[in-house]
Amino acid sequence: MTQASATTAPEPKVWGGGRSPFKVSYGKIMMWFFLVSDAFTFGAFLISYGTKRFFSHVWPDPNEVFHSFPFLNGHYPLLFVSLMTFILIMSSVTMVLAVHAGHYNDRQGVIKWLLWTIIGGICFLSCQAWEWTHLHHQNAWFGSFNDPNTPIESIKQFFGPKAIEHAAFAGGAGLEATNNFFNFFFTITGFHGFHVTIGVILLIIALINTINGTYQRRGHYEMIEKIGLYWHFVDLVWVFVFTCFYLL
Amino acid sequence: MAHEHHYDETKYTHLYEGDQSKLYSGIMLEHHTDVASPESKTQVKRIWKVFWILLVVTVVEVILGMYFHHIIPKPILATAFLLMTVAKAAYIVSVFMHLGDEKKTFFWSVLMPLILFIWFILAFLADGSFWLHMNTNERAGVQTEVTTK
Repeated sequence: MTQASATTAPEPKVWGGGRSPFKVSYGKIMMWFFLVSDAFTFGAFLISYGTKRFFSHVWPDPNEVFHSFPFLNGHYPLLFVSLMTFILIMSSVTMVLAVHAGHYNDRQGVIKWLLWTIIGGICFLSCQAWEWTHLHHQNAWFGSFNDPNTPIESIKQFFGPKAIEHAAFAGGAGLEATNNFFNFFFTITGFHGFHVTIGVILLIIALINTINGTYQRRGHYEMIEKIGLYWHFVDLVWVFVFTCFYLL
Repeated sequence: MAHEHHYDETKYTHLYEGDQSKLYSGIMLEHHTDVASPESKTQVKRIWKVFWILLVVTVVEVILGMYFHHIIPKPILATAFLLMTVAKAAYIVSVFMHLGDEKKTFFWSVLMPLILFIWFILAFLADGSFWLHMNTNERAGVQTEVTTK
């Protein structure tokens, strides 16, 4: 069937070389496959988090761990992380609008939307810095709550009432779960934050190039599109991090 | 968004060897209209529509997580969260990353490897809960043995 259509069609064979069968350039294809491999890295992190969680009788309750908001004294579960999620979704929209402007060679549009995306990225990183600092003040860090002599009172603040009443809680399961939870939390959000930082740097470079007219002279804005793919991927990872750490 | 402009690709073979980006993201993607055209505006509308969908789904997730996590049984809630997460991911990938607009062969080349995740998640979570089960029973078994002796 394919052979017949290939011999009758006047155009060269799709997979015969000399053209991209996907109608996508090499650079863009490689960005996609880099993202596929990166998805496996993040996937491995999140699945190992899930495995550790399934290992344990008790697990910290996100509504108890994440309930603070800057400058407000009270119990606001999930409010701050909702703001962070909103900022990242918003920056994803401004990014896709920059890519869209690039498709139409609209230089002013690209500059405007890239600027908004950079601001969104910096806002997100600032929020994360605040959250890390806040948790650090509650003695949570990489490798924290590792000492078996830690008083049980100091970890109760991270758990819901049901977990505290569990028979295994005081016998070490509570402490082990707290230690695991924060190790995974700081490693995974840290790795994600590192990706966002790289994204912001790439966006700043792209903005400078756009202002200098580099892409206008090239005749296409593919670089914006490739960085856009990376940026959306970072947003995508956050969608999963949000579900795994804050919702489930 | 189908950019099916009919270019004689053979005319640009030299670009394939030299500058694929210019060929596929420049010449072949070239829009005949400007950014203020109706074609462009439809696309922008689509982007904002997806933004609202993502926002509403996230708000629903947060409300469920804040107020209903003690009321709704855990397995149902977890399934709901996972379905909503996958829905959001699908919108981001297909519209924001334009994967839905790429050729079907490319679409599947990217998505196929991710099928491994199904095994990955099932195997590891099953292992986790099995370990917990074994550990709990074993400990209980040892204890009863000790007490009966």
